[in-house]
Amino acid sequence: MYDRKTIRRRRAVLAGFVVASVALITVWFGEPVTGTLHVLQRGAQEVLSPIQSGASRALKPLRDTIGWTGDTLSAKGENDRLRGELGRLRRELAATQTARRDVEQLSGFAEIARADGFPQGTAPVTARVIARSPTVWWSSVQLNKGSSDGLEVDQPVITGDGLAGKVTAVTGGTATVTLITDERSSVSAQVMPAGADGIVRPKVGDPNDLLLDFVEKGGRIKSGQTVVTSGFTASPGLESLFPRGVPVGRVKKVDRSELDIYQTVHIDPFAELKRMDFVQVLTAARPGARAEVPSQ
Amino acid sequence: MMLSGQAALRVGLLVLGAVLLQVSVVAQVTILGGRANLIPVVVAALALLGGSMAGATAGFAAGLLLDLAMGMSLGGSSLALTGVGYGVGRFGELRDVSHGLLPIAVAAAATAGYDVAYGAITFMLDIGASISALVLRDMLMAILLNAALALPLFALVRRVVRPVVAAGRLEPRRPGRTLESGPIGLRGLDVSGR
Repeated sequence: MYDRKTIRRRRAVLAGFVVASVALITVWFGEPVTGTLHVLQRGAQEVLSPIQSGASRALKPLRDTIGWTGDTLSAKGENDRLRGELGRLRRELAATQTARRDVEQLSGFAEIARADGFPQGTAPVTARVIARSPTVWWSSVQLNKGSSDGLEVDQPVITGDGLAGKVTAVTGGTATVTLITDERSSVSAQVMPAGADGIVRPKVGDPNDLLLDFVEKGGRIKSGQTVVTSGFTASPGLESLFPRGVPVGRVKKVDRSELDIYQTVHIDPFAELKRMDFVQVLTAARPGARAEVPSQ
Repeated sequence: MMLSGQAALRVGLLVLGAVLLQVSVVAQVTILGGRANLIPVVVAALALLGGSMAGATAGFAAGLLLDLAMGMSLGGSSLALTGVGYGVGRFGELRDVSHGLLPIAVAAAATAGYDVAYGAITFMLDIGASISALVLRDMLMAILLNAALALPLFALVRRVVRPVVAAGRLEPRRPGRTLESGPIGLRGLDVSGR
């Protein structure tokens, strides 16, 4: 297709440009900044810079338009990426917060076990709440431990803050806990340090308010005092299911009616029954004591 | 080899315009995290239309202008673009280049060739550059963007140099039909004695 001369010429042109380029590189790197090529380059830049500047200014709208388009496309991608990252961070945050809540609740068990007056001789079994009653009264929860873990009916259940309820049904791997806010619940308790005894009952429909009923008027009870389980023993074979000394709540208000024989004490429960994830079942509670309080 | 004044003027202005547009506008626009590079595309278009010698000449000139304008080490871009121009020109001389979508592949290959060649030269000059994932991503984005710009850019270059390009290069080549001009392709770049 081409004669030898053409081919030679073509190769010569290529070789010439390659040699020229290599020579430029060699000289440019070898010479000082005051060398010929550097001076030539600076001169060229001085000549070209106004043109570049003018072109840059003149074509700014075009650049902005293209940039806007690119930015929009990038922003869309960035938006998707950030959404993904937000989702990941939310999951991480949720996991962290869950772990933190778990730690707080579990450390609460250690604290409550060290508290003065807390019943000794129990063998707490820690369990996770796996289901909750869907009713507004939050009357019962289900645990992931059962009879195979040593749980039995009527054993007391506590959270890291205080009394939660008692076991009312067990299977091999699960247990149902009736909370102290359930309408069927009643717990013998006393106000400390006054020592006034009474029965803790729920105020149905308001899980944040428990009532200590049947408290004799003679007892001097003030707001802020602590209510704990009394764990009384009335006679052989008749004793409370709950051991003495488990915190129940704090006195909020006292109703003293002239007509009533007893006074009613309103209690703010310690246990956050709506938000508990872990509980402990006091499995060493004295077996065989099913006499009365709390009623089932 | 003689270059007519009109051909030289058109090609020179085209190369100068491409370099100025690149450094003043295109290099400042980021699309999807990458930047297009018009220069190897324009050089490739000129080479495809004009042949290997015209391509090498356009590549050397564009590289020299780029290095001068940007204060880069002189000769590096020239060497890389000379190779790109010559290679694309030879491809155009040996193959049928009339397919409508060929500019896309040529632009992508020219950009890749320029990036790789310039990277290799940079490494050989030992100026402390390193290949990172970011560099590779930028190269890939430049290739993709240049491929996207190939058709309008090739059309523009063809329009500018049409009056000085041999007619045979702008039309589909029939089997057995040789080009009317020499391998240079530009009318002003006639081979003496032919």
